[in-house]
Amino acid sequence: MASARPPPDPVAVLRGHRAAVMDVSFHPSRSLLFSGASDGELRVWDTVRNRTIFSTWAHIGAAGVYSVATNAALGNRVISQGRDGSCKCWEIEEAGLSRKPLFTIRTNSYHFCKVSLTKTPKSVQTDGGDSTEVVNIMALPGEDPSQVELWDLTAVKRVMSLPQSSNSNLAGQTSNQRGMCMAIQAFYTSETQVLNLLSGYEDGSMLWWDFRRPEAPVSSVKFHSEAVLSVAIDNICNGGISGGADNKIFMFSLDQQKSICTVRKEIELERPGIAGAAIRPDNKIAASAGWDHRLRVYNYRKGNALALLKYHSGSSNAVTFSDDCRQMASCSEDTTVALWELYPPKDRI
Amino acid sequence: MNDKERAELENLALQKVAEVSSAIDAARHVDEVICALHSLAALIFSVDSSLVSGAVDQRFKDQILSAKCATDSERGSFRNNFYYGSAFPTMARLLLFEVAPNWLTQFPKSVRSQIYDQFFLEGPSIGVLEELIPILNKKGSDKDPVHDKICSSVERLLVLCYLKKEGIRQMVIEFDLVEKQKGVAVKKDDKNSVSRVAQLLASIPDKIRPQASSKLSSFSFFKEATIQLIAGAEEKSMQLPSVCDTIEKDSPQNYAIFFVGETFSRIIRRGSTDIVVSEMVPRIYDLVKSLLLSYSNASLPSVMESTPKFWFWLYLVETMRDQYSIERLAEGILRQLASRAVTDTEAYWILWLLFNRSYNHTGTIRAMFVDKFILWKVFPVSCLRWILQYSIFEVAPTMEGHVKWQKPPHFVDTLQHLVTIWSKREFVQSSSVEQQAYLTAAVGLCLEKMSKQELETAKDVLSLILQGVSCRLESPIDLVRKMASAIALTFSKAVDPKNPLYLDDNHSDVVDWEFEVLTQKKVIITTSSRKQFINKPKTPLQEKSRENLGDKEAQKSILIEEISDKGVEEDEKDHDSDSSSDSSLEPYDLSDDDSDLNKTFTQLADIVAALRKPDDPDGVERALDAVEKLVRASPDELHHNSSDIVRALVHVRCADVAAEGEEESSEEKRHKALVSLLVTCPFESLDVVTKLLYSSSVDISQRILIIDVMTEAALELSETKIITKEQQRKGNLITSTSQPWFRPGDRGPVGAGPWREVSGPGTSMLQNWSHQYERELPSRPGQRKLGKTRKWSAANSKDLQQEWSKNRFPMYAAAFMLPAMQGFDKKRHGVDLLNRDFVVLGKLIYMLGVCMKCIAMHPEASALAPALLDMIRSRDVSHHPEAYVRRSVLFAASCILVALHPSYVASALIEGNQDISTGLEWIRIYSLHVAESDPDTECASMAMNCLQLHSEIALETSRALESADRMKAQSRTLPSKLDNIIIPFANMN
Repeated sequence: MASARPPPDPVAVLRGHRAAVMDVSFHPSRSLLFSGASDGELRVWDTVRNRTIFSTWAHIGAAGVYSVATNAALGNRVISQGRDGSCKCWEIEEAGLSRKPLFTIRTNSYHFCKVSLTKTPKSVQTDGGDSTEVVNIMALPGEDPSQVELWDLTAVKRVMSLPQSSNSNLAGQTSNQRGMCMAIQAFYTSETQVLNLLSGYEDGSMLWWDFRRPEAPVSSVKFHSEAVLSVAIDNICNGGISGGADNKIFMFSLDQQKSICTVRKEIELERPGIAGAAIRPDNKIAASAGWDHRLRVYNYRKGNALALLKYHSGSSNAVTFSDDCRQMASCSEDTTVALWELYPPKDRI
Repeated sequence: MNDKERAELENLALQKVAEVSSAIDAARHVDEVICALHSLAALIFSVDSSLVSGAVDQRFKDQILSAKCATDSERGSFRNNFYYGSAFPTMARLLLFEVAPNWLTQFPKSVRSQIYDQFFLEGPSIGVLEELIPILNKKGSDKDPVHDKICSSVERLLVLCYLKKEGIRQMVIEFDLVEKQKGVAVKKDDKNSVSRVAQLLASIPDKIRPQASSKLSSFSFFKEATIQLIAGAEEKSMQLPSVCDTIEKDSPQNYAIFFVGETFSRIIRRGSTDIVVSEMVPRIYDLVKSLLLSYSNASLPSVMESTPKFWFWLYLVETMRDQYSIERLAEGILRQLASRAVTDTEAYWILWLLFNRSYNHTGTIRAMFVDKFILWKVFPVSCLRWILQYSIFEVAPTMEGHVKWQKPPHFVDTLQHLVTIWSKREFVQSSSVEQQAYLTAAVGLCLEKMSKQELETAKDVLSLILQGVSCRLESPIDLVRKMASAIALTFSKAVDPKNPLYLDDNHSDVVDWEFEVLTQKKVIITTSSRKQFINKPKTPLQEKSRENLGDKEAQKSILIEEISDKGVEEDEKDHDSDSSSDSSLEPYDLSDDDSDLNKTFTQLADIVAALRKPDDPDGVERALDAVEKLVRASPDELHHNSSDIVRALVHVRCADVAAEGEEESSEEKRHKALVSLLVTCPFESLDVVTKLLYSSSVDISQRILIIDVMTEAALELSETKIITKEQQRKGNLITSTSQPWFRPGDRGPVGAGPWREVSGPGTSMLQNWSHQYERELPSRPGQRKLGKTRKWSAANSKDLQQEWSKNRFPMYAAAFMLPAMQGFDKKRHGVDLLNRDFVVLGKLIYMLGVCMKCIAMHPEASALAPALLDMIRSRDVSHHPEAYVRRSVLFAASCILVALHPSYVASALIEGNQDISTGLEWIRIYSLHVAESDPDTECASMAMNCLQLHSEIALETSRALESADRMKAQSRTLPSKLDNIIIPFANMN
């Protein structure tokens, strides 16, 4: 190769937040982007005109909005998680969000783990209408941050906590060793459509839970040497990527028959700290958001590095892809949200 | 021979002279005179009678040939009586006053030499001299031909007797003959007469007429005299008694040397030291050199004292009574030796040979070496080494180290004396740089000889050195600090050779005591270099642009990759339908550096907050990194934050914060940041800065920082403007610029064509006064205009020039200067500019000068100049003891001269504005005073520069006044005070 191209600049930078932007999320179908900042502001952006179209103080308090989540199953709604011990669900209206949240869940949890909505494999998604019938589950650590709670968003009630508090003696012991839960990703397995869940802990270990067997994790692995900070699952739910406070990114695959989680690719970085990770819905590329301000883009299949994006001037907090795979959004402590267009997929004929 | 016989002979001689005299009086023809003279000459010396007779008429020939010729013995006794009695003076007068004016011109040459000159040549040199010189003294009117003839005759005789016949050498020898013929010579037995003769000899070049032979001019005569004196004295000393100690200083045996010494001192008194020295030094050098080859140091003194060849040199200085000429002689010898590459040993022995006898006995000679030559004079360093070696170390330099060297008793006292003077603050302030370097070298060279124990016992030396070093280290002049560090290094080496103390970064083990000023050639750096520095325009920053070409190439390579990758792609198992395009995932440039990671500050408020947290050094450092860039971006909120940032920046402690070795870069960042603040929002920042300048909450370094920053900001604000103005001004003064003033400038977009003069539409005489020009201009991209030429005319070209002015400084000048000038002379807590913090004062005045320069030719200059003049005129400032302050004053003064527009000066004079006229006059007087009497050479050269500028402005002002006069004559008569005002420097035109 003669000379590598210089890394691209963001196609748009969304400014307006007055504090570090903690999380971003695309609307599953419309060209909207939600972002939450650490001062409690939740903004809705139009990604075509690159303007703020709505802003609300979603979570009052010093901690602010910690996470914003949308998915197709949730439809025209958005979940915001605050460090004030509550999660709020907002209706998306024409002019922005509903004035009041649809419902508020008091989780009483004050931790560093972002909420996770359940990821549905593509095949299931495209199946048809009954997917909405599937119980829409939200996972987040509970009052005891080593425990993962599962909430049914339709019924707005807590379904389960993992490990179950019934045998808390045993679980408590092990969970104490693991420390707080730092990252969660819930998903349905592609074949059985059973709710599964990956949770990463402070000590670097990662547990794989099966909703049917909540007593004990299906599998337990420890890739990272320090806290796991982000876990992302690909669109067919056969593998994923994880980043932690150490200087490594792991790409792993999940064997659902044997319930084995194996490392597919280990990537070592110059500087530690991956706060967020995401895989594009077409499973081609994965991105990570680092404490070192950089976003890194990888070929998800091969695991080789594709780009090193230097735009943010503060620690990057999260990265996410739009459902149509055309856009990537990143947010950072420098109060900006950057929109990127990388390796755009070819239009289907 | 008894007295009676002698008296008879003397009478006979006188009688003969009387005969001759009456014969000459009666003579009507030259031949009669010749005959008369011949008759006497034949009695005294052998005359070639045939030669004389050949020149006269037949009737006298026989008379001459028949004249009685005395035998040799008769002649001898007669001659003695003739010359040492009263006969010769009478005869000499007769010859000079009667024969010379009336008859001598008619003498044939051969006769003249035979019977006229011979009377003097045969006589004793001393006696002849005593006869000849007083005649020259006699005052006759210049046009008196008789007197003229007498004088020319005397001068001819002088050349003949003393230069051609080496009469001077003869004189030296004759002084000894005095002893042998004591009975005959009556008046030469006391020293006074010796010195009188010396006086006569040395006065010859003063007394001769201007048209006399060039051989008698002071240069050639003294040179010849010196050569003869030395030769005579050397010859003479061989005849002295073999043991030199037996010679008493006042004994007549010593008269010869005494005479040489006296003559030398008179020659030296007449300012011809160089001539004496240049003759002396090669001789002594050869003597000493030959001796050094065969003898060791220890035996040299005894060898010298026992060798007659050296005696003259040993006694010469001792016999000289004139202290001043000894000093000049010593100085001349030292300088002469320095210019010939003489080794230390040779020089030591030369000094020893010449001065040792008197050095040991005479206090004044010792004082001359120890006091005068070290404290008052400035010699090259090599001379200093010899002086120290001889007078203070008192031992010949050896190669074998100083192990066995026994220090002379005075050594420590002398050192203490030197150090006492060296350490005084007044010495640092008031003596010239050369003098300081010289004394520093002396102290340093002495310290090198000291050991630790000796330094400890002489406890005054220790504290004085510390005091001297510390007061020098405070000096703003680099050279003075260098001297301090040199002494400190030497001192530390003496105390502990293994642990030298370096106060300088670029140090070397061997101290260069010359300090670049004690070499023989001196280079004076003028202030023009500084001026250039101010005027130097800054190079524009080059912009980086991303290359588009690289992008294209990369895209091409992607296509190729895509094609070649296809085969591989199909082998892979794919779940995704469009996964074949995976190969499009071409990596970007993955190179990474962490340069951006440090730049975390994006808000001015964050920077202020970070700067105020001294407990977070990283944060402060990063803030310093970021602040300049942020300020330069000049965000809207800068005006609200600037004062906070300025305050925080001034107070931040860079040295504490920065990592080891990076203090300077962080200082620089702070400096740049402050400059950028002052440039981007001057009023707000200046408000804070000028208040802080005199606040007691900042220390000296911060005050200096503030002033430096203001200086740089002023320069940046004024940017390129000064240069164009200056060029204009110079052009008016000396030559006209190449381009006519009414022509539009060459500025414009790239690709613009040259200006063409166009004739106006109606080419009548009335319209033609305004020249019109046009040129082709490239159209801007996207510009659609009907016309494609622009027209300039003389009417508006001047205005346009003003609009082009980039100098933004004049509008801020008052805010820069006025608050800074207020209260500089007040002494408050921690603020004492006039005394302790004089460096700040110097910098302040320098800054004000730069400000003045930046508003050169602008109307603001005229408004601010009186205030600045007021400040520098105050006695405390302009006559500050520190040269640094005076330099600044001179700089500011020359800046004022450069900045004032001559027309303003002229109008101030017409209006009778006293401030300006007296101020300018003060500058002239002050510069003159400094140029004449300042010990600092830099000051003096700056003052010269200042004077030159003053004369320039005076010239231009007088031109402006002339034109104003014409105007006045044309228009109504103004009630002007012009007549009463003296234009500064007007009398020089």
